[in-house]
Amino acid sequence: MDTFIYSLRKFFQSIPLIFGVTLISFVLMVYFGPDKTYDLLGKNPTQQQIEEVHHQLGYDQPFLTRYFIFFKEIITFDFGYSDSTGEKVSSIFARTIPVSLAVQLPILISGNIISIILALIAAYFRGKMIDKSVMFVAVIGMSVSYLIIVILFQIIFCSSYGLNIFPVQGWEVESFTSYLKYVTVPVLASVFLSIGYNTRFYRAVIVEEITKDHVRTARAFGTHPLKLLFKNILKNSLIPIMTRIIITLPFIIIAGSIVLESYFSIPGIGLVLYDAILTGDLPIIKAAVTWTAMIYVLSLILTDIMYTVVDPRVTLK
Amino acid sequence: MNNQKLLEVQDLVIEFTTDKGKVRAVDGISFSLNNSETLGIVGESGCGKTVTALSLLKLIPSPPGKIIQGHILYQGKDIVSKSESAMRHFRGKEISMIFQEPMTSLNPVFTIGNQMIDVIRQHTHASKKEAKERAIKMLERIRIPNPERRIDEYPHQMSGGMRQRIMIAMALSCNPKILVADEPTTALDVTVQAQVMAQISELQKKFNTAVILVTHDLGVIAETCTNVLVMYCGKIVERADVSTLFESPRHPYTRGLLTSIPRIREKKLEKLPTIEGTVPDLLHLPVGCRYADRCERVRDHCRLEEPPLEKKDDKTEVACFYPY
Repeated sequence: MDTFIYSLRKFFQSIPLIFGVTLISFVLMVYFGPDKTYDLLGKNPTQQQIEEVHHQLGYDQPFLTRYFIFFKEIITFDFGYSDSTGEKVSSIFARTIPVSLAVQLPILISGNIISIILALIAAYFRGKMIDKSVMFVAVIGMSVSYLIIVILFQIIFCSSYGLNIFPVQGWEVESFTSYLKYVTVPVLASVFLSIGYNTRFYRAVIVEEITKDHVRTARAFGTHPLKLLFKNILKNSLIPIMTRIIITLPFIIIAGSIVLESYFSIPGIGLVLYDAILTGDLPIIKAAVTWTAMIYVLSLILTDIMYTVVDPRVTLK
Repeated sequence: MNNQKLLEVQDLVIEFTTDKGKVRAVDGISFSLNNSETLGIVGESGCGKTVTALSLLKLIPSPPGKIIQGHILYQGKDIVSKSESAMRHFRGKEISMIFQEPMTSLNPVFTIGNQMIDVIRQHTHASKKEAKERAIKMLERIRIPNPERRIDEYPHQMSGGMRQRIMIAMALSCNPKILVADEPTTALDVTVQAQVMAQISELQKKFNTAVILVTHDLGVIAETCTNVLVMYCGKIVERADVSTLFESPRHPYTRGLLTSIPRIREKKLEKLPTIEGTVPDLLHLPVGCRYADRCERVRDHCRLEEPPLEKKDDKTEVACFYPY
C-alpha cells in the first residue's frame, strides 16, 4: 500500500516534467523542424498550394493555439493521423512497436544476462588472464562501429562467403520458426555490441562489491565461489545494474533501433520514427515524445520500487 | 595424540608484492596452540598480526599476498598445501574467524537467519528447517531477545554489538576447534566491548574452542588470554604466559607498550609515556634488530645482527640481546 501511494505521488509529481519535455520538444518541432509542405507538394508548388497545405496541417495557426491542440492530444492520448500516410498514429504504433519489441527484448535480456555472467567471472578473476580476455572482447564490442559489426555478422551468417543460413534482411514472420529466422542475426549483432558496454560497467560495479567486508566474511565461512558470486555479491550489485537496465526501457519501447531496423529492413517503430523526423511528420513525433516521457517517468518509479525489493535498507516514504 | 598441538605454525613467511617491491608482512614466525587455549597476539597496526590471522584460513588476498615459506599444521596436517576447495570445507568448520568491523562484516541485503543458515548448511547436511532451528538456538545462546523474530531481521536493524555477537554465533555454529578473532572489539563502545569479550569467553568454555585473539588492546589480552605473543614488524619479539608478560615484560618493546597504558589508581603523570619514533618501513628494514631505532637499551651490536627468539627463562621467550 505504501508502495502504491508512493508511486501515485511520484507520478503526479512528474506531470510537470512530462509537460516540460513535451513543450520544449514542441518548440523545437515548430521552429526548427522540417516543413512537411514540400514533402507533400513536390519541387515546384504554387503559393496557393503552399497556403492550402499549411492550412490543412495547421501550420497557419498561432503557436499557442497549436500548443493547446497538442496539450489536448497529450491528455486524450489521441494524436490524430500521420501527415504522410493518413494512417491513425495509434494504429501505426500498435503495428510497429510489437515488431521492435520482438527484436529488442531478446537483445535486452540475453545481452544483460551474458554481460552480468561475464562481469562476475571477470571480477572474480580480476587481474588474471580470464579477466583480461573478457575485457579485451568487451573493448572490441565497445569500439568497433555498429555498422561494421552488422555487416560482419551479415557476411558471416547470411552470405555465401560465410555460413549462409539466415536471410540477410526482411521480416516475413508467420510462425515461431520464421521469427527465429529473421531475428537471430540482428539479435546476435546487437548482443555482441551491448556486451561491450555492459560488461565493463557491471564489472566495475561487481569489483567494488567483491572487495567488501561481507564477502570476506562469507569466504571465511567456506562459501562456495559460485554461491558467493550469484547470491552474496550479485544481489548487492543489483541496484546500479537494475537502474541501467530499466532506464533503457523507454528508448527500447518507443525508439527501437534505427540502425538495426534499417539495416535488416525490420518494420519497427525505429524506422517509422526516423522517417517521421526526416519529413516532419508531426503527429508521429508528438506521440513518440509524449510516450517516451511518460514511460521514462514510469520506469523511474519502477526503479524506486525495485530498490526496495533488492535492498531492505531502502524504504519508500 | 595427547601431546600433539591443535595448531602449529612453523617458520611462516608471508610476502606481499607491491609496486615498490616485495614486502614481508610476516617474517618467519612460529607458534602453537593447544586445545581450548586462548592465545593473544598483540602489536601495533601493520605489524602483521591480521595477516597472520588471515593466513590460518588461507584468506590472504592473493595476489598480492603469498605464503612463501613455512607450515601451518592443523591437527598435524599442513594446510598451506591444501587446495582452495579443500579449504572451503575447512573454513568455518575447523577454524572460524570473526572480524573487526561488525557494521560491514555481515551481508546487508540478506537476513541474519539466511546468512546463519547458509553457514550451517555449508558444513552439515541439515535441512533448511533444522538449520534454522539450530540458528535460533545459537541466537538464544548469545542471549539475543526474541530470536525467532530477530532471525528474520536484517543487519542494519541491529546495533554494532549485537552484530558482532551474531558474528560470533555464526562463527561457532559449526563447532569449530579454533576461533580466530581479529580485533573483535575495536570498533565497539567500551561497555559493549566487555559484553562481547564475555560472550566469547563463555562460548569458548561451552564449546571447548581454542581462541586466537588478535588485538592491540592490552586490556582485552590481560582479561581473556592464557598466552601472549607480542609482534613487531612481522616478527614475534616476546612470547610468555599472560601473568608473566604483564608482571615482568622482558622485551623493551613490550615494556614500552605496557608503560604507555594509562593507569587510573597510580599517581598522576605529567604526560603519558610513549614509544618514541615510528615503525620502520617494511620496504627498508634495518639489518639488525628492527626495534633498535626506538629502543632505549640499544647498543652497537643490536644494529648489526638480528636477535633470534630465545628462551630466557622457563616462562618467557624474547628476541632481544639485552632484555630486562
